[in-house]
This record gives sequence, structure tokens and C-alpha cells, in this order.
Amino acid sequence: MHIDKHLDVIAACRFCFMCRHLDPVGNVTFQESDTPRGRALILDTIRMKNESLKNRDFIATIYRCALSGANRCHCVSHYDEVGLVLAARKDIVEAGLAPENVKALAEKLSRATFTVRGKGNVLYYGDHPELYSGCKTLSGGDPGKALETLGFAGDSQKVFDRFKSAVTASKCTTLIVAEPSAYDFLKDKLDGIKVVHCSEHLLSGKWKARPVRKAFYLESDFLKNYDGNPAASRELLARCGYSLMPFGTNSEESYSVGEGAVVFDELDPELCEKLCRRVYDLADNLKTALFITPSRYVKATLAKYNSQIRIVSLEEAVAQRKDRK
Amino acid sequence: MIPPNSYLYEMVRSELSWVVGDDHVQTGDSDKLGHSIDYYWVPEVWHDRGQKLPPPDFVVYPASAREVSEILKIANTHNIPVIPWGGGSGSQGGALPIYGGIVMDMKRMNKVLNIDPISMTATAETGINTQHLEWAIEKAGYSTMHFPASIACATLGGFIANRGTGVLSTKYGKIEDMVMTLEVVTPTGEIINTLPVPRHASGPDLTQLFLGSEGTLGVVTKATIKIHPIPESRKFHAFLFKTMHEAMVAGSKIMTSRLRPCVIRLYDEPETAKLIKRVLGIDKKGAYLVFGFDGPAKIVDLELEQACAICREKEHEDLGTEMGQAWWDHRYKFFYPPYMFHLPQAFGTLDTVATFANIEKVYWAMKNVVRENFPQAAFIGHFSHWYEWGCMLYARFIIEAPPQDPREAVALYNKIWDMAIRAAIKEGGVINEHHGVGLKLGRIMKELYGPAFKVLEDIKKTLDPNNIMNPGKMGFPSKGI
Repeated sequence: MHIDKHLDVIAACRFCFMCRHLDPVGNVTFQESDTPRGRALILDTIRMKNESLKNRDFIATIYRCALSGANRCHCVSHYDEVGLVLAARKDIVEAGLAPENVKALAEKLSRATFTVRGKGNVLYYGDHPELYSGCKTLSGGDPGKALETLGFAGDSQKVFDRFKSAVTASKCTTLIVAEPSAYDFLKDKLDGIKVVHCSEHLLSGKWKARPVRKAFYLESDFLKNYDGNPAASRELLARCGYSLMPFGTNSEESYSVGEGAVVFDELDPELCEKLCRRVYDLADNLKTALFITPSRYVKATLAKYNSQIRIVSLEEAVAQRKDRK
Repeated sequence: MIPPNSYLYEMVRSELSWVVGDDHVQTGDSDKLGHSIDYYWVPEVWHDRGQKLPPPDFVVYPASAREVSEILKIANTHNIPVIPWGGGSGSQGGALPIYGGIVMDMKRMNKVLNIDPISMTATAETGINTQHLEWAIEKAGYSTMHFPASIACATLGGFIANRGTGVLSTKYGKIEDMVMTLEVVTPTGEIINTLPVPRHASGPDLTQLFLGSEGTLGVVTKATIKIHPIPESRKFHAFLFKTMHEAMVAGSKIMTSRLRPCVIRLYDEPETAKLIKRVLGIDKKGAYLVFGFDGPAKIVDLELEQACAICREKEHEDLGTEMGQAWWDHRYKFFYPPYMFHLPQAFGTLDTVATFANIEKVYWAMKNVVRENFPQAAFIGHFSHWYEWGCMLYARFIIEAPPQDPREAVALYNKIWDMAIRAAIKEGGVINEHHGVGLKLGRIMKELYGPAFKVLEDIKKTLDPNNIMNPGKMGFPSKGI
């Protein structure tokens, strides 16, 4: 089984409570099973008795995980609990035990195709081509990350191969990626092309001094907890005149409402809404404050359950102050 | 246990769902598994060895004192055990559903209700995770000053139920010193409030009755606690002494001279060699003593200097502020894997408290018992919560390779506890200081209290006539098997 490659994580997490306060799902369902300890106990049970993999309640719990990297970041030993859950999902899928809604979602994601348009040596993959004059644009669905998080490794590879073919055919030397989940997936996967996050590219431009505008910055789980928390996004927003304020009561908790699971809003809308409601509840001034997030997933999801929240993506925030020098 | 395919099971589930809603009555295997193991070594080893653990019949998540009250009334009607559950991180088996029944998980009751900057108090529901509580209080500009190693694991109610403590207990007290007043739902479902302040002469203090009652006398649903300003300064200093005794003399003199450290911690020679080396990287022979002061900067500097002067009266190695600060910075690291003891090791914390006159006698009595009777066990200890009159011994035994058979392993484990605890009690030790009694130490309660235990038994009978509240814990009667 794939989980057998993570025995160190099972042994470390199955009786450990030290990061449970950071599990976004555990913090809204309050269930012991929705914590790294709870999931490790389940997977330890499955390790000892493989038949338990068929337990529908265990499977549902494993798919309820939001795959936040906050717990792994918090752990002094950084045990890869996300890696363990992803391994369990692969085991579930390979055993033909994926729930119907997961299978349907995977089927939809598997149909992704990719198109390249325009001219230039730089390829942009995102929703705001107007910010990237002189770049080719690549459009299509998720490049395989979402399928990977659902446990469909083979299908993920096929979609990625299509993505890669499109990139290769573009003959570009640099790929700018906007969505943090896609950036995390692609940054070490593509040969012969430099992969950068959109903030790194935009930061290289020159920006006019602008009047200061305060905004709450909702960190991306991927950028912060998976990719070493690069400073470029915050620096870019600062250059655009945004004074960023930390959100919530602490700097450790993830407020990215299931971003780590890429398609969490489609996988479990009810739970996703609960994650959003926690964010709304923690906001001191939801109606008047401006929220900025590097992730279009976070933006769209938070906007879905509360029409009053003023939330923009990083690129939209930049576009609003676009007058470059 | 109620058979899941029985009429009674469905009747009870329907009644519970009517009170809290379908979503808040869990009967799935995932949650039952999570609630059948806490931080007690015995369920851990049973799980590890593939043994079936007694699960709850229902896991119920109330959102208010009224819902708690309704659940308790249902439990009384059907004579079903109710086991309150906070973070589940207790080490004594206190939250284990040993007879099945209803595990009442309190984490939905997680709101900070009020922060009173005039009186410097905060009121919160008791299911709140204590790290979340501290963050919320810090956002308002204050601190609970409650920093236990389990701050991120446990709930406010869990600390109240077990008389828990934090690292800064020497100055800010244990949870029983922090609490002002409680809202409690009694076992028969009455919602009561204790008096609003802890200093009064209006009879015995009901607040203190429920503190440490481990869910056997009711469910604490709301608490008002003291909060504190963020100190201007907090500084630490560490010394190394040749022997634990010399360090103890220095530490106790700091306390009896009535200096006001926020923390003192003294590690015996084996723990200094093992854990202080591993976690802090200080590779030295001797006994490591660290202390800290906080408050106005001038007072901190003055008190710190006085404490250092006391330490310098004995032969010592001055490790300076850096090695003291390192301890503070890594104070929780001891409890994360792989630094914390873990299976296949067998390990237990022989938490004991005694006066300065007795504490070293307690240490040696327990150490000698373990050494002489269980040569396969290592014994290490540190003294971690210090008061004007004595301190707490956080002694631990560790067996690297306990028997593979779970029954043999548990029998050996219990034998060590039985002998070590009785040796400690004989020397004036009280078991224990902040972990609680639970399932683990219930059998010792009558010996510890003597005839006074009948008073506790009578209180239990009066408040909980059907013995539904966490039966079989704290030395109170079992539910019957």
C-alpha cells in the first residue's frame, strides 16, 4: 500500500495532539477524526488490517481533509501528514473504492485540454493576460494537481502530459503561473522552461508610488506552507501601495478555505461553506475591509457564501493600481 | 454498551438528535476511534497491538449549557454513562468511554464571550482550545499566562476538569488559581453558577469543588478566568550544578526568599544528560536549573540578579541568559515526536507534589523502588512547578522494550505505578499535581485520602444519584460490567 511508505508519519502522528488546533476542518467540524491524529489513527488501523480500507466512514474522513500544510509547518519535525493522506487517497482509488462524487469530479477534471495563443517567449497561465503584454497565454483547466490530490495519479499524469505538450509547443523559455496550486505542482515538474509565480514576474516591473490602501492579506496555503513562503507577493502588493494587515488572531492558521485540496469547493461544498463561515466570523469588519488573496480559488470560494465580502485576487489588486511607470 | 441494532440505540439516538441536531450526533467508526484513545499509554499500546478498544455508543457535540442539560437528562432516563471530552489529550485515561455510552465532546462550545479590561478577566465557553483562547486574548492586548505544553491540544474545560497547569505557574498559578467563577451543568441537568469571585467567606467554595472533578460531578460549560497585561520584560537564566541536590537547595532558596519567578525548572542528572542534551543541545554533566522573571523591566533585572546571586553561593557553572532563553524558546519541543517518549517504549509520568522538606525524599523513594524492582526501567525527572512551600516532581520511567503481549505490558506498567506511587505517598508526596487521576490512578484515591475520601464519595452520590457521569474514574464506583 502507498501508506506503507509513510510509516514514520503514522507512528509520529497517531498519538500526537500538538498541531490539532491548526486543522482547518477539525476547527469547524470539531471531530477528533478531522485532525492529523484522527486520520493517522485511521490509517494505522488500515495498516494493521488492510480490509479496513473498505470502511466507508474511514474513506469519507480521508476525503474530508483539506490538505492544509499548516499542520506540517507547525510540527517541529515537519512530519508530512499531507503526504500520508495523499497516499491513502491513492490506495483508495487503486482499490476501486473512491466515492461516487470523487469519481465524477475526477472524470470531469480528466477532460482538461490546453490551448496556447499569442506571441512571445514568455508564456502566461492565468486569468489576467492584460497584465502580461508581450506574453503568450495558455488556457485550459487544472494541469493535473487536482487529480493528484484526489488520488488519481495516472489520470493526473495524463493531464499533465497534455499540459506539457502545450508548453513545449509554445517554445517559450519562461512560464508564469498565477494560481498557487498550479505553481506548486509545476515548479519542479517541467524541464527546459523556467517556472515563476506571477508575483515574481510582476515585481520586476516599475510601479508608481500610490496612496496607501489598507488590506487584509489572506495567505495562500501553497505559497506559505508548501513553497517556503516567498516574499514576492507581499512585496509586490507593498509596491502597489497596499499596507497589508495580518488576518485573524495568529500567523499559523490557514484561512485558505480548502485551497490545499484544490477542488474542495466541489468535493464537499457543505464543509467548504463551514470553512468560509469561520473566516467571516473571524473578520472584524467584513463589510468594509478589503481582502487580498494570491489564489483565485480562495477568492471565488469566499465570495460564494457571502456577497458582502470585498475580496480580490493578487492580480486584480495589482490591476487596480496598474499605472506602471 | 448499547447494541447498535437495538430499539434502545435508535431511541437514544433520536432523542440526542432532537437536542443537538443530526449533524452533531456521530456514530461513525472514524470518530468513535478518535474518542476511544486519549494520551494514556494503555489505550495506545492496546491500539498498537491490534486490541479492540471500548468505543462510545454516541459522540455528541452540544452547543449550549441547555443542550448539555438535555443530554444529561436523557442519559439519566436511560441510565447511560456520559463522558465529557475536551481535547482528549489527558494522560490519565480520564476521558475514555470504558463502558461505552455518550461521549460529550465540548469543542463546539468554543466562544470567547467577554473580555473585561477593568477587572482583567475573560469569560469563555469551556470547549475552546486553549491556544485559540490565548490568541484571542492576545489580540485584545492581554494574555492568559497559561502556557502548558498541551496548550494547542487541550480545551479550557480539560484544564479545569484536571486542575491543569502551565509553564508560568509559579507566578500566575495553576488553573484553579486562574478561575474566577464557573457555569456548571450538574449530573441531573440543573444549570448553576458558582459565586462570581474566588475570595469570599460565603461558605465552602463551590468553584473549587468542580475544579479537578474530571467530569464526575457535572459538566463545566463556561468559565471566567483572570487575564494579565503583556509583561514589559521576560528574562531567563540557567545554571548547571554538580548534583540535583545542590540545584534543589538553590531553587528552594529562591522560592523561600520570596522572590517571584514566573518559572523555575530543575532537571536531574539523567534527564539533563538525556533530554536537555537532545532538545537544547547542552551536552554537560550535572543538573540543569533554569528560571525566569517577568514584569516591569527594572523589577525583572533586580529579581533575576538576586536569584543568580543565590545560585552563585554554590559550586556552579553559569550557563547565562542564552541557555535559559533557549529553554523557553524550545519549551514545547520536548513534547513533539520524536522528542517525546513513544511506543514501543513504555513510559509514565509519576507526577507528584510535596513540600521542600519532602520532595527529595519522594524523588529518591520512587527512584529506588523503580531501580530495585524494575531493572529494565530507566528513571528520570525534573521539578517543574514551584511554590512558596515546595514543588512538583515530573518523574518518568521508561522501558525501551516492554513485553509484546499487551496484557503483560499493561500489568508491568501498572505494577511500576503501584509501587512508585505508594513509595511517594509514604514520604509525604501527593499524586498528583496537574495531570489528574482518571482511570490510571483511581485505585489509589482511597489510600491517598484515607477516611476523607468518603466525603468525596458522598458528594458524588448526592450530585449524581444514577452514577452516569464518567463512571469508573477518580476512584468512584464503576457502572457495572
